Amino acid sequence: MSDLRAARRLATAVVAVGLATAVGLAAHGHVDLADLAMLYLVAIAAAAVAGRGSALVAAALAVAAFNYCFIPPRFTLQVADARHLITFVVMFGAGLTISTLMTRLRRREAEAREANLRARGEELRSALLSAVSHDLRTPLAVITGAATTLRDSRGELSPSVRRELEDTLVDEASRLERVLGNLLEMSRVETGLVPAREEVPVEELVGVALERAAATLGSRPVTIAVPPDLTVSVDPLLFAQVLGNLLDNAVRHGAPPIEIVARRRGDQIELDVADHGPGVPAAARPHVFDRFFRASAAPGVGLGLAVVRGIVTAHGGAVELVPGAGGTCVRITLPAPPVSAPVALGPAAPAGHAQPAAALPGRAT
Amino acid sequence: MTAAAPVLVVEDDAQMRRFLRSSLGAHGFEVREAATLGEASAAVRAHPPELVLLDLGLPDGDGLDLLRDLRMTSRIPVIILSARGREAEKVTALDAGADDYLTKPFGIGELLARIRVARRHVSGAGGPAAPEVMGAGPFRVDRGRHEVTVDGGPVHLTPIEFELLAVLVQHAGRVLTHRQLLRHVWGPEAVGETHYLRVHMATLRRKLERDPARPQWLVTEPGVGYRLRDASPATD
Repeated sequence: MSDLRAARRLATAVVAVGLATAVGLAAHGHVDLADLAMLYLVAIAAAAVAGRGSALVAAALAVAAFNYCFIPPRFTLQVADARHLITFVVMFGAGLTISTLMTRLRRREAEAREANLRARGEELRSALLSAVSHDLRTPLAVITGAATTLRDSRGELSPSVRRELEDTLVDEASRLERVLGNLLEMSRVETGLVPAREEVPVEELVGVALERAAATLGSRPVTIAVPPDLTVSVDPLLFAQVLGNLLDNAVRHGAPPIEIVARRRGDQIELDVADHGPGVPAAARPHVFDRFFRASAAPGVGLGLAVVRGIVTAHGGAVELVPGAGGTCVRITLPAPPVSAPVALGPAAPAGHAQPAAALPGRAT
Repeated sequence: MTAAAPVLVVEDDAQMRRFLRSSLGAHGFEVREAATLGEASAAVRAHPPELVLLDLGLPDGDGLDLLRDLRMTSRIPVIILSARGREAEKVTALDAGADDYLTKPFGIGELLARIRVARRHVSGAGGPAAPEVMGAGPFRVDRGRHEVTVDGGPVHLTPIEFELLAVLVQHAGRVLTHRQLLRHVWGPEAVGETHYLRVHMATLRRKLERDPARPQWLVTEPGVGYRLRDASPATD
């Protein structure tokens, strides 16, 4: 690999000097020798872009070519006039200087890039810290408040107040759990997630997500239009999280009814989760899938949709906001699984429960 | 409704033990505690419990070892307590003979429901043979006549669907892993064919559920398996 790089550097130097020589030969007679020397300096500078070695080789080649082609006696390597030796030294010196400057410039650039990366990492960490401390502390503060009120009240709370505090405890605890879940999922996505794919009916994924989100959804109507035989090749656990986050978003930022629609379009599966709320403001649309981005003042770390994008991307899919939808409509597009042979439905019933295992037809394992 | 029953809580976190002790105590259970694998083994030998709540991550070893030891000599119900994201661990424990699992954090209602189901399966089914006629929720399965009814009305099922429903009804309320279901319905050579199971579960839901995308009875336990929801009232 380093051989290849060295060869490329050499080639750059040869080409640059060759070009300068060709131009010089064409212009010979119309221009001064000093102008030709300048031309070679340009060639050295051009070669220096490819690196220090290239600049040095170009400088040596330039001196040789200049001498051979233009310095009398021409087309020999002899030098009649000692003045020209000074020109050679200057050319070579210029090549050396340019290449040194180039190297230094590159090092600075790399340092700046690294510093920039570090700064971004720092920024990310502080954003994470502030988001986490806010979104974990707030429910924790509510829990502490409600729990101590319950503990310290000596039977002086009315049953309705007690009930309210108890509900608060349960709700806030599940909010904590949700934030924590997304944080963990986000860190898994960041560190390179390899989904454990299985071919799963979309209907089953939707069922799991609705079951998990039951408490959040409450009595809000959800309409589902999913073809029963539609399957996707995904990690079912990760997709429970994806759909759960989308439903959670629809509840917190949108308005019912919530719609879940899936369809096959060519060799792609589209899965839409839509609500009938105010939608995402135009200015916020490009950023909704970014980490720590919040489109509104509503509580949330701004991780939910970033986790959605991370997981979907890890599956080779894409996620977008569908423009022109009434409320918010998030569309997930996934490659459709290869068409598999229909699953064998099995033979006649097993004789009875004494031998429950039915033979698996047409399968050699 | 619950008589005093010694429950062994094997859990290294003291606060978690405190919660389980007070909550289960309030519901009439006699609770014994073990914080390590060593304490748990000693407790099992000294006073065989009626039921074990087992946290798998213990400071001095793997809770799975305790489970395997227990299973060599007894059918005491074991319910695994485990964190989300550890589905593989839960599946291993279930396939090794655990009766059910709960994902932390869980509510006391869920815990009592699991305990109720686990105890019922021990006291009810005296042996491995399932009764000829079984019922759970709106379903009745008659193995002799090979008939299934839902709320009294007959439903036609394919042999595979019948077998799948029968095993879920027989273990009503309990989770069954993909492997357990595949082994039972298709045979041991099919335990890896989860796709078969999903497809047939989908057709079964279409025949038995009012809204197959929101199943009331045939519940998916993501990453683990399926469960026929327990029909008995959720009160204790």
